[in-house]
Amino acid sequence: MAEKRYTGSCLCGAVTVTGVVDKPIIRACHCEMCRRHTSSMFMSLETVPGSQTVEGPAKEYESSDWANRGFCEECGSTLWYAMKNGAWRNLAAGLFENAADSSLKLEFFTDMCPQGYALSGGHQKMTTQETIAMFTGAGDQE
Amino acid sequence: MKGQCLCGAVTVDVTPIDSELHACHCGMCRAWTSSALVGMAVSPDGMKFDGPVKSRTTSDWAARDWCDNCGSTLWYRVTIPDHEFYHVSAGLFANAGGLALTKEIFIDRKPSGYAFAGDHELKTQAEMEAIFAAMGDDV
Repeated sequence: MAEKRYTGSCLCGAVTVTGVVDKPIIRACHCEMCRRHTSSMFMSLETVPGSQTVEGPAKEYESSDWANRGFCEECGSTLWYAMKNGAWRNLAAGLFENAADSSLKLEFFTDMCPQGYALSGGHQKMTTQETIAMFTGAGDQE
Repeated sequence: MKGQCLCGAVTVDVTPIDSELHACHCGMCRAWTSSALVGMAVSPDGMKFDGPVKSRTTSDWAARDWCDNCGSTLWYRVTIPDHEFYHVSAGLFANAGGLALTKEIFIDRKPSGYAFAGDHELKTQAEMEAIFAAMGDDV
């Protein structure tokens, strides 16, 4: 797929974001923090590193020693999950019309998903153990 | 049923009107939550909460509330007189309160790249707007 810059915004429009998409991938996270933050799961969009722009009254909540969760101060929209060290920031897929034409490819913490609903499809699904192993491994390499 | 937001600053104690979860795919809920608002219906009588709740009126018939400290989605609230009810975030409760998804609304606004598994009652944007218009006409 050719690279394309998508523009999105929060519910009230006060925060606008852009990012270049070259792989139209959505990831869903069912961890307890994402679930409490979003009502169900955090869906994020894969964007080209360094391509994002953000404008407006974004606020960050430090949800762990290593990560922040962004939200709009005016409407409470979930904006992103980001590493505190600035390594990466995953924008919420919902900020973009039709989720920036991207598709679900991966679910994290699938064993934490409540029993009352599930996502359909044959995409990759990772348990808590697999998810943590993946992130820990990535950290070791850096 | 007791729940709380991500940071714990907002706590809720609710009595849902039934054991159903509904998901809303409207453009506002999508932008607000990253995907869909999944929640349960609670009448004003069944709703208790405490903490730094921030609110925004998002249409002529509803408001949306969140935690001012951590930004957690708390609830969608219908504000039409005599029709007030809360659609409280399932994520505030362990295992979504043990409730199960039975209905998806604004299904024609759902992004094409993901879907919930299973057969649920589905309502389109036009069907939902007709329902809200009828509520407003009763006033």
